[in-house]
Amino acid sequence: MSEQHIQSVFDRDLERVQALIMKMGGLVEVSILDAVRSLATRDEELAAKVRANDRKIDDLEEEINEEAARIIALRAPTASDLRTVLTVMKISANLERMGDYAKNMAKRTSVLVQMNPIEGSAKSIQRMGQEVEEMLKNALDSYIHRDAGLATDVRQRDAEVDQMYNALFREFLTHMMEDPRNITACMHLHFIAKNVERMGDHVTSICEQVIYLVTGELPEDTRSKEDRTPFEQMEGRE
Amino acid sequence: MNTPQIKISARDVQVFYGDTHAIKDVDVDIEDKTVTAFIGPSGCGKSTFLRCINRMNDTIDVARVEGKITLDDEDIYDKSVDPVQLRAKVGMVFQKPNPFPKSIYDNVAYGPKIHGLARTKAELDDVVERALRRAALWEEAKDRLQAPGTGLSGGQQQRLCIARAVATQPEVLLMDEPCSALDPIATAQVEELIDELKQNYSVIIVTHSMQQAARVSQKTAFFHLGNLVEYGETGQIFTNPLDKRTESYITGRIG
Repeated sequence: MSEQHIQSVFDRDLERVQALIMKMGGLVEVSILDAVRSLATRDEELAAKVRANDRKIDDLEEEINEEAARIIALRAPTASDLRTVLTVMKISANLERMGDYAKNMAKRTSVLVQMNPIEGSAKSIQRMGQEVEEMLKNALDSYIHRDAGLATDVRQRDAEVDQMYNALFREFLTHMMEDPRNITACMHLHFIAKNVERMGDHVTSICEQVIYLVTGELPEDTRSKEDRTPFEQMEGRE
Repeated sequence: MNTPQIKISARDVQVFYGDTHAIKDVDVDIEDKTVTAFIGPSGCGKSTFLRCINRMNDTIDVARVEGKITLDDEDIYDKSVDPVQLRAKVGMVFQKPNPFPKSIYDNVAYGPKIHGLARTKAELDDVVERALRRAALWEEAKDRLQAPGTGLSGGQQQRLCIARAVATQPEVLLMDEPCSALDPIATAQVEELIDELKQNYSVIIVTHSMQQAARVSQKTAFFHLGNLVEYGETGQIFTNPLDKRTESYITGRIG
């Protein structure tokens, strides 16, 4: 709603908590890009920075939750104001998880730089991370502009990330079968790829919150889950 | 859940005060055994509409009501309907507690007496006790029934007025800002009472407190400039109103 409240302090409260979300989102974007870059360039110092920065993201989540609780207690928000406060809390939880994934990736990167690199995989993961960062940026834009159309669009793009992950899954399997000495590195790389894939799911969840915020209803689940690569082996045996 | 029973039905209701068109084209179905809240800015017509339901507007010379309002499918504006009898069925509680300058007992006994609801003194005692219990005032008042009603505290006076309204065994209870003169504790007591009353009555409450509407009602109707803008389940109205005017009002953007 663009109209202002009669009580302007209410507007300031809502603006403040949303500004915190944007700040938090910005930090997570940087963490994603730094995490995949530190892996691609084998930059241990950058990986250490990603790990340290997660603290700031966690602190912001706490600040946002406190602010949201205060708004609920003091302003008794209703309708779109209520939905704003509810979505702020959920989105901050999504962003916090994404920050944790970036931190975990950075930890694994610090281990991986001690080993022989696996051909091509770090670059693929970097592309995947860049895609997720781009999605997050668009999701946050859709939030600020209350653009349910853009949120729907971003939500669909998660399928591409899932596909990239499935391709990497097959690649790692091949490397490990070719030479068992690759197993340790490939296991770490697989977890990293999985983390990026999970980040995509959190972006999807943010988009769903934006749709709820704008329309008052969560979207029906129409996202396709086409590629079932990771489950093929298991299903073959059943 | 059973399909709710419709207690009051209004169709194409218009109210004029002289040249002023105060209520425009109101269609609404009020459910039985439900608390319905009427909200909206001052002058939006919510009290005016409330007063149509027990024909209180008849007492105002320049007021004119058009359209149809039925109570249990009977037209309350039909020539055969006696407004006094109607008001026994459709009780009303006002903004300021207005007990009669009589004893607590007589305040409650007055209605049943004139409507012939009790034949003996014992029966009347019984009616008074039940009404005071209904209004959650019995424990506080039973030892001072002959004391003047005006000597009670504000919250107690309002509960006395509610006891007086329920003593005639109405089917509908209209409440016009019943808590606006009460402190938070008395307000909570009256709200608790409203919740109990809905087991037997259709309760309609006009309130300026959005939080009160949210707390006590199951259905909410939003009035604006004489129109019924939106009517729906209270939870929906307060989380996801469909009309922009409702949204602006409940979020504090228009007065």
